[in-house]
Parts: sequence; C-alpha cells; structure tokens
Amino acid sequence: VKETSRAPEPLDKKVALALFVLTFLFLWATEKAIGFTRDESVYFAASDAIARWLRLVFQAPSQAFTDATLTQAFDFNHEHPLLMKTLFALSSMLFGDTLHLLRPAAAYRFPAFAVAALIPVLLYLFGAKLYGRTAGLFAALCFFLAPRHFFNAHLACFDVPIASFWLLTVYTFWRAQTDRLYWLWCGLSFGVAMATKHNALFIPFVLGPFALYRAALVSEGKPEARRWSLGFVGLYVAAALLFAVLVGSWGLDGFLQRFIFQSPQTLLILALFGSTAYVLWRLHAVDEASFRALAPIGAMGILGPSIFYLHWPYMWFHPVDRTAWYLNFHATHVHYAWFYLGTLLRKPPFPLEYVFVKTALTLPLSLVVAMAAGLFWNLARALLGGLKAFRAALPLPSWSETLVGANALASILIISHPEVPHFGGVKHWLPSMCFLALLAGERVAKGIQAFAGWRPKFGQAGRGFALPAFVFVVLLTPAALLTWHTRAYGTSSYGELAGGVPGAASLGMQRQFWSNNVTGVLPYINEHAPAGARLWLHEVNGLSFRDYQRNGMLRQDLRPAGGPGDADLAAYQYHQEFREQELNLWQAFGTQKPVYGLYIDETPQVMVYQRP
Amino acid sequence: LSLLVAAAVVGLVFQLTLPSRLATDDDYHQVAQVLAREARTGDGVLLFPWWTERARLFLPDGLQVVGYLHSETDDLVEHPRVWVLSQPHLPRNDTSGFEKAFLPGRQALGPRRDFGNLSLTLYENGRYRPELVSVARASAKAHVYLEHPDGSRQDCPWDGAAHACPGGARVAGEWHELFYRPHFCLTLHPPGGPTRLVAELDNVPAAETLLVEGGIIWEHAPPLDTTALELGVDQGPGTAELAHLEVPPGVEGMQSRRVSPSPASKTLRIWTQSDRDKDRDACVELRALGPRAGGGA
Repeated sequence: VKETSRAPEPLDKKVALALFVLTFLFLWATEKAIGFTRDESVYFAASDAIARWLRLVFQAPSQAFTDATLTQAFDFNHEHPLLMKTLFALSSMLFGDTLHLLRPAAAYRFPAFAVAALIPVLLYLFGAKLYGRTAGLFAALCFFLAPRHFFNAHLACFDVPIASFWLLTVYTFWRAQTDRLYWLWCGLSFGVAMATKHNALFIPFVLGPFALYRAALVSEGKPEARRWSLGFVGLYVAAALLFAVLVGSWGLDGFLQRFIFQSPQTLLILALFGSTAYVLWRLHAVDEASFRALAPIGAMGILGPSIFYLHWPYMWFHPVDRTAWYLNFHATHVHYAWFYLGTLLRKPPFPLEYVFVKTALTLPLSLVVAMAAGLFWNLARALLGGLKAFRAALPLPSWSETLVGANALASILIISHPEVPHFGGVKHWLPSMCFLALLAGERVAKGIQAFAGWRPKFGQAGRGFALPAFVFVVLLTPAALLTWHTRAYGTSSYGELAGGVPGAASLGMQRQFWSNNVTGVLPYINEHAPAGARLWLHEVNGLSFRDYQRNGMLRQDLRPAGGPGDADLAAYQYHQEFREQELNLWQAFGTQKPVYGLYIDETPQVMVYQRP
Repeated sequence: LSLLVAAAVVGLVFQLTLPSRLATDDDYHQVAQVLAREARTGDGVLLFPWWTERARLFLPDGLQVVGYLHSETDDLVEHPRVWVLSQPHLPRNDTSGFEKAFLPGRQALGPRRDFGNLSLTLYENGRYRPELVSVARASAKAHVYLEHPDGSRQDCPWDGAAHACPGGARVAGEWHELFYRPHFCLTLHPPGGPTRLVAELDNVPAAETLLVEGGIIWEHAPPLDTTALELGVDQGPGTAELAHLEVPPGVEGMQSRRVSPSPASKTLRIWTQSDRDKDRDACVELRALGPRAGGGA
C-alpha cells in the first residue's frame, strides 16, 4: 500500500481559499435575517460569563484561578464544552465591545462563520484528491445549498462546528496515512472536536477499525511491525480490562469517588499515555506505514482527553465528577415532543426510519437523489463487490472510499437508535451530511465523465469546463432557490419530496422549532404595539427577548410578559404540542382572530394576537 | 446523470410553480366578502387542509373557523351549515381522504365557487343537532361544589370569572386543547382522593340526546404515572348514574357517551373524581341536544 502524498496542489489551495472567503462573506452578509434560537441566546450569555472571567485573568489573576471563581464563572451552561463559547466571547470583546464594528449578535457569530467555512474547504480538498476536482467542487458547493445547513451555519451554536471538526479529524486521519505529522494534526483536531460537542466521543469508534485494518494490511510480512502493532492494540485492551476490573470491584460510584489525583485510575491513564507514546515511537523506528496507520489513533487517545480537560477551567478542580455529570447529562438527555408524520413523538422508542425520512424530506430533491445515489453505490460495492458475479460491475470500494461511506452513515445510525432523542431536525447528524456531500460529488463527477465519454463534443466544450458547469447549474439551481426562499426560517424548510413547506404541513411534520421564526413578526409588533406594552413571545426565552432588544430588533419600551394572562400582545409559535397555549390566548384575549402572522407558503408559523 | 438532472428539473419546476398555487390576500378578501354577505348565524367554516389557518386573519367575526389535525372527521354538531374553504392546489392534498370523512351526512347546497386558489362550498350539515343547553356555556349559572364521601359539600362560589373552589381549583367554561382539537368545555379538575368536584345545572329541558364528554387537557393526558379520571352524570345524590366515563392514564382526546332520550330533569349533575390529582386536568361538557331538524338552506 504505497501511496503518494495527499497534499493539495497549488490550484486546489487557491480554490479552497476562495471557497473559505466566499462562504464566510456570504454567511456574514446574510446573518442579520436569522433570529436568535433558544440555545443561541444561552450561549451568548455563557460567552459573556467567559468574557468576564477573561478580563478577571488580567485584572486579578490570583483571584481568577480559584475553585470558587472558576465554578462561578463557568457554571452557567456547563452541559457543553468551552471552545466555541470562548471564541464567541473573544470575538464579542474584540469586534463588539472594543472596535464596535459589528452588532452584538454578529460579533458573537463571527467565529461560527469561520468554522462553518471550513466545511467547503475540507470537502473540496478531500473530494478533489479522492474523487477528482469536479467531485470536490460539487461537494463543497452543495453542502450549504441545503436550507437547514445554511441556516445552522449562521448560529453561534455547536452543530455546524462539530460537523466541521468531525470532518477535519477524518480528513487529517486520512492525510496521516501518507503525509508526515498529520497524525499529530489528527490528534489536535480530535481534541478540538472534543472541546466543541459531545458527538466527538463517537469519532474514535468510527476511525479505530480503519486504523487497525490498515495497520494489519501494511504490517503484513513485517513481523516486528506486526508485533508492535499488536502491542498497541494490547495496550488499549489491557487498559479497558483494568478499568473494568476497578469498576467491577468498586461499583461505578465507588470508582468515581476513588478517582482522585493520586489513585490507580490516574496512574493507569498516565501509564496508558506513556505506553502509547513509547509503542508508537518504536513502531515509527520499525515501519513508517504501520506507524502512520496507528499514530493518529494514539494521538487522539492522548490529545483528545487532554485538550478536553485543559480547555475547560470548570473541570480543573473537579475533573472526574464534572466529566461524569457531563457524560450522564447527554446520555440521559430529556426528550422534547416532536411532530412526525402526523404523530407527536414524546418518548422512545422512536421510529427507526426517522432520520432517513427526515433527511429526504428536508433536503432539496436534486441533492437527495445525488446523495442517495452516492451512498447506495458505495453500499452496493461494499456488500456485493466481494462476490465474483458482481466484481466487474461493482468493484470493492477502497479503504478511503469505505472511510467516507462509514462516516456518511455514522451519525445517522447513531441518531437512528430508537432510544436516542429525536428532536432538532437534521442538525444532530450534520457530520454525516458532509460525507454524503462527498458521495454526491463522486456520483455527479462520474455522471459527467460518462456523459462526456458518450458525447465527446459536449465533454470537450469550453476546455472541458462547460459540461460540468452546466450540470452544476442545473443541479444546484433548485437547491439554491429553496435555500434562499427559507434562509431566515431554516427550521421550517422542507424540500420538494415533502411538497415544500405546505406539503410537509399536510404530511404532519414539525413546522418549526427553536423560536427564531419570531423575527417574521417583530417589525409588525414594533410598529403596532402600544407604548410600554407587555409582550408574550411564547417560545422565545427571556435571554432572546433581551437579545432582540439589544440588537435593535425589538422596541426597548416593550416588556416581557409571563403568559397570555398578563400580556397585551402575544406572538404564538405554532407547534403541535403547544396548541393549548394558542387556545389560552383565545381564552385570555377573548378572540380567535390573530391581527398578524408569519405564514410561510401559507403555513401558519407565528400568529400575533392583541388584547382587544 | 439523467436521473440527477430529472430530479433537478422536477425540483426547479416545483420551486417556480409553488407561488402560483398559493392563495393571495385578494383571494381571501373575496371569500370574506361572500361570507359576510351570505353566512348565517350558527354557520361554521371548515378549513381544508386543516392547517390553512391564515384564513382567520380575513374571515368575518362571528363565524366559527374550524381547523385542526383530523378536523374533517368533526361532526360540527353545533353548525347547521358548514362552509368548506379549501385550497385544492396545495401540494400533498388528500382531497379524497377529506371527502370520505367529511361528506357522509352532508349535502352541498350549491356549486363550488373558486376565488383564485381558494374554493368555497356550502354544505347542509346532516350531523347538526340544536343545542338546548350546555354546561360549559352556562357555567356561570351552575352550582359548583366539592362533594365528600360522607355527602358533605363545600361550595365553589362564582367570582365573576370562575367558580373558585377550596384547594384552588377554578371551574369555568374555557377553550382547551384535547388531542389537538380545540374544545370549549368546563374545566373540572378533581381535587384527588375520593372527593368529587360537581357542577350542577337546574331546569334542564328534556332533550332527544344527552351528550356527555370528558377528557384530559393538553400534555397532561399522555403521562402514565397517575390514576384514571372518573366522570359521571346523574340527577342528584343517591340517583342512578345516567352516564359514566373512565379516562385511564395515557388516553388522549375527548371521550363521549350519548344518553337517548334524555330524561326531563329539574337537575343534572356532572362530576369528576380521581385518586390522584397529578395531570388530571379535566375538561368536560354536558349538552342537551334537540332532534335532527332541517337546519339547511
């Protein structure tokens, strides 16, 4: 398995840079229309707390690093790690508070645009090298021409960042097989992913088998390399067994209580880190290819937890109990009600096919077909390529192609588990969507190639650019139209397969979530609300209410009401599970007639009621 | 490639034609004018598809607009005539499903009239029954009290908006959602334990049918970690029950019983009881309905 470097060509670097700049600028240019999601305002507030602590570091360093100060500073929203929130805080301090270049919301969101803009870059670099430039470019362009992806890319949240860093980790893992030092970048990327969102915890389970398979492949006929490779595996197996013995002996609670700095657990972790480094060092001396196969996993094993711990001051004095709480919070996450094909899903077990159906109904049709074609082509080759009868037509996918296919399915299959929370639309499996975009790109490129072979005249037109450009325009125009149409209301968007937003309403799909659609009625409220009126914005939480006011989107004199009973004006957001609250408004206001509303393609989203 | 291009063309055609399939404000204004001119007191407007509630912005005051998940199956018992306001050109419309549920017992009183992408058809509602009395609408006149197992009572006096009971329960006719359907019903949350919460109406006229309905409001219905809601209708302490309903934990929606014919009674009582009050937010209705009458054009 002798492969050449996967480093991009100079032209590819230029294209990648152009993609980054264009994506960043486009997200920045369109962010103002995007309302503040419920979570986003929480992250704004958490970023403010981090900013206060960062100032304290410079103003009173002796005070800033005490257990009490760290707990106070980082207790708010400690269910998510700090990396992105710290970037939001730094950006807000620089571009908002200091330079006054951006409105407050844009200042928080600035780093999110940059991290999101990595996705087209990585898709292009990955795809161009693996499948060719046409495929890479299609993957890069199509990812943000999906309305919900485009919408989420604007938010100071973690769903798009974790997709970026998942993709980055896989890309560096792939590059590490052929390029020097990429094992280290892979470890660092994984650490960054760990510091972004808990989805990262699944990455080693996806990449691990690929590393082991490759190590087995490249160490064949090299006894010493094989021995050290097996030693590497043995280390982790032994560590897992020893941890299991400790948990078995003490019980989980006893294990956690005894997990202090000077404890067998700490010793075991340090021994594992040290042994990993030693084995990899020896492996490097024996066989470069085997080292490259396993070093990324070793680096992930050491750097992932280390970066996770070091980047999060909240963990510094209480690493064990607070990490345990963090993991438990996500393992036992509450289930929010979710409307799906006419049924309100409240608790597990959830429908097994949900993720596939939701993906198919929300993506533009041209992308659904391209992604599905790519995925099925990959699956068919993997499943049937080993059979003699199919080998010619369906050659087995390469290690790299299988890596892409596995990552395309990983997040989707994890969320598909009937016990895993199913709220939130497609944002929870965005990492898979990156790889599906790559698979779509591969199919499109192959299609263009086949057509050009069939009709060489078309294939050669315009120095070979005309046909791909034409196909790109044809495939991406409907996606671009749909994305632009629902750009401000991404959580409401549905593709052609659903029949658009109205078709999805008839199918009984979740009409919206996260409260940001309220921006559609704020201009009316600003114009018509009586001075000093008490306003109930239903799903909009108190932090978002404040954010709309401090960003100049809601009049300062309006006061938040607690519910229909004390409101003069109310904006009800249609959710199937909240219908009672609209009837509470009918009751309190004595009318069933809204005075205004946001209706996307006729579908009721936000209705404004006014007390007569 | 041809498959991908075909999908893109389908997508493009859909995107470009969707705006022409939607109702405009002008369409709604035209419909509103017709209804202002031709609708009668007691008429209802049924929306198809059920979610097309933008109509509420435009339709004349006083007309009951009905649109909720599966509202095509609603008997609309209080409306002698029903105007169906539909948008037949919307994607994924199940017109045949709508007609299958709606048409039995109904007869069109005129041709369908189109206003842009809106269609309006008037139907005689064969499922209409004149309402002689409703405990929800007459809640201010009801006598409401807690009735203990030993027969003693604690009154819930009317405070101008609701009957205020010891322990905090408030009893009044209100709009509430039961399994996505809006109901104007009497809130009758039992206090928990053997005590009943009772609403008593006097001078109830004889009727062809007594319709008894009860259920648990909103998200309080699905939880299973509570006890059943018991609901009964009788003519006073010690009398035989005319109807009894049990709403077990987890059961959503309004449950109903019909008593035919309804006895002429000076007094009718409806009561609720539940061993635990957790998530037993009950809403009930007791209606005396007259015989099926013309009610049409």
